[in-house]
Amino acid sequence: MTTSTRRIAGALAAATVSHPEPDAVEGTSAVVGGLPEPRRISIALEDVSKVYPNGRRALADVDLAVPDGDFVFLVGPSGAGKTTLIKLLIRDEVATSGTVFVAGRDVSRLSRREVPKLRRRIGIVFQDYRLLPNKSVRENVAFALEVTGTPGRQIRPAVERVLALVGLTAQGDQLPTQLSGGEQQRTAIARALVHEPRVIIADEPTGNLDPLISWEIIQLLLRINELGTTVLMATHNAEVVTALRRRVVALEDGRVVRDEVGGYHREY
Amino acid sequence: MLRFLAFSIRRAWQGFWRNAVMSLAATITMTLMLLMLAGLVIGLSGMDAGLRFIEQKVEVQAFIADGVPQSRIDALVAQVRALPEVSEVDYLDKQQALAQWQEQLRQQGQPDYSSETGTNPIPASIQVKLKDPHVYGTVIQTLQAAQGVVTDVLETQHVVDALLSVTGFLRTAGVVVLGLVGITVLFIVVNTIRLAVVARSEEIEIMRLVGASDAFIRWPFIFEGVLVGLLGAAVTLGILALAAQPIGQGVATLIGQVPIQFDRNLAEELILVVVGAGLALGGVGAAISVRTYLIR
Ligand SMILES: Nc1ncnc2c1ncn2[C@@H]1O[C@H](COP(=O)(O)OP(=O)(O)OP(=O)(O)O)[C@@H](O)[C@H]1O
Ligand SMILES: [Mg+2]
Repeated sequence: MTTSTRRIAGALAAATVSHPEPDAVEGTSAVVGGLPEPRRISIALEDVSKVYPNGRRALADVDLAVPDGDFVFLVGPSGAGKTTLIKLLIRDEVATSGTVFVAGRDVSRLSRREVPKLRRRIGIVFQDYRLLPNKSVRENVAFALEVTGTPGRQIRPAVERVLALVGLTAQGDQLPTQLSGGEQQRTAIARALVHEPRVIIADEPTGNLDPLISWEIIQLLLRINELGTTVLMATHNAEVVTALRRRVVALEDGRVVRDEVGGYHREY
Repeated sequence: MLRFLAFSIRRAWQGFWRNAVMSLAATITMTLMLLMLAGLVIGLSGMDAGLRFIEQKVEVQAFIADGVPQSRIDALVAQVRALPEVSEVDYLDKQQALAQWQEQLRQQGQPDYSSETGTNPIPASIQVKLKDPHVYGTVIQTLQAAQGVVTDVLETQHVVDALLSVTGFLRTAGVVVLGLVGITVLFIVVNTIRLAVVARSEEIEIMRLVGASDAFIRWPFIFEGVLVGLLGAAVTLGILALAAQPIGQGVATLIGQVPIQFDRNLAEELILVVVGAGLALGGVGAAISVRTYLIR
């Protein structure tokens, strides 16, 4: 993706500020694989900087557009700002300047009441799984729907559907402590998927897993992506990134230094 | 809405039992605090009963000249009784007054010489009880105006005023102490509940990440706080019920003559105070504790 298309995407995303229905950012011409096709923008950052209260500049002038259905790797050395970028997307932190669009929403303009609604449009996966230790796999996944007030009769089929997708139907009644790391991460992915988000954002989902299990998790995320969900994944896993030949966005010192389809290029 | 309530109550129940040690600690703290409040309420209502008893003693006394015809005395009594600020008028004739005086002497263990003189030196009197010890109205003027009948009106107004300012001060002090203790108790309870909330901060974090609205995070904790409050109140009332008998006796021997009664009124008041305070402290304490996690 070239700088100019990125600008276009950013401008389009920015235009939705005054748009009455910000959910429908139609007509973007994202160039992927050389073929222009109209697609909506899942994630758009325009001139985004983030300076933490202690003065540390974690992101500087970041532009990034991720069309619906993309699979994007976010790479870079430790401290490059990957986690910071993800925190901006899920509104855990607010950008110091610039605009951040996720699923058609200007994230920095959300009121307190709207933040939960944004998070229900995103599935979030972390390196450390973040499962509730005293709830079973099923309960952990169902929890994501319960806390959003979903009726009980809708919860059960939705939970079974995602458990089947991640291949954990048989382990549904086990507690997280009775699962392998890979199974715990699959539980977390099931939880992120259960409310059918448009975007899955994963921060080093394979960081705690051995190579073989990491591949399983990546395969799972690829399958989810094939089913139509946009995936943004921060990772240090050079082998995976190089092998898959997907879009790679590289951050260094808070700046985007590379944004192209291809490999890891450099050992971080 | 119903689903929300069901969810919150179920979560509160689970939260209470899954952190049983924390919940127990919170309940014990709550119980101790409620006992303290209840003790204070009992003390204050005892003091109030005592003060009311003392205030009832306030009365206006008029001495009647010897040899006044009974009809004029009756007329004066009727006139005073008709005054709006008067609650009760008693007439003691000379014999009754003497008998009462002799009775007092005997109680104090002093020798009684009155029977030896053969005459009765004690005047008849009218005792006027007031509805409100602060309001004398025209009682004293009315009595003094009855010249030839009344020899003397016992002027106790300044003594009474001093007494009333003391009792008023004691009452105000009681309310202030109750308020201060209430605030202290709230702080202690909030801190205890906060410990329980901190222990579950990860859970709150996960709820936020999966898109739980503030209400869904807050209310289970509030219900859990209310549960702690109710349990604490129940235990407190149980302890009070067991202790009521010995305390009642202790107080009775302590303040012999003053008839302080731990009657049904006080019992109802206590139940109301303890349950109300338990609910409010638990709910408000929990609400304050989760607030820190919601503002971000
Ligand atoms: N809350 C914070 N306050 C201050 N500085 C922070 C905070 N969070 C992160 N930083 C700083 O911002 C920079 C970027 O951090 P970030 O966590 O985004 O890096 P990262 O790319 O995720 O690194 P890693 O690969 O090790 O996870 C770092 O220098 C870090 O020290
Ligand atoms: Mg990181």
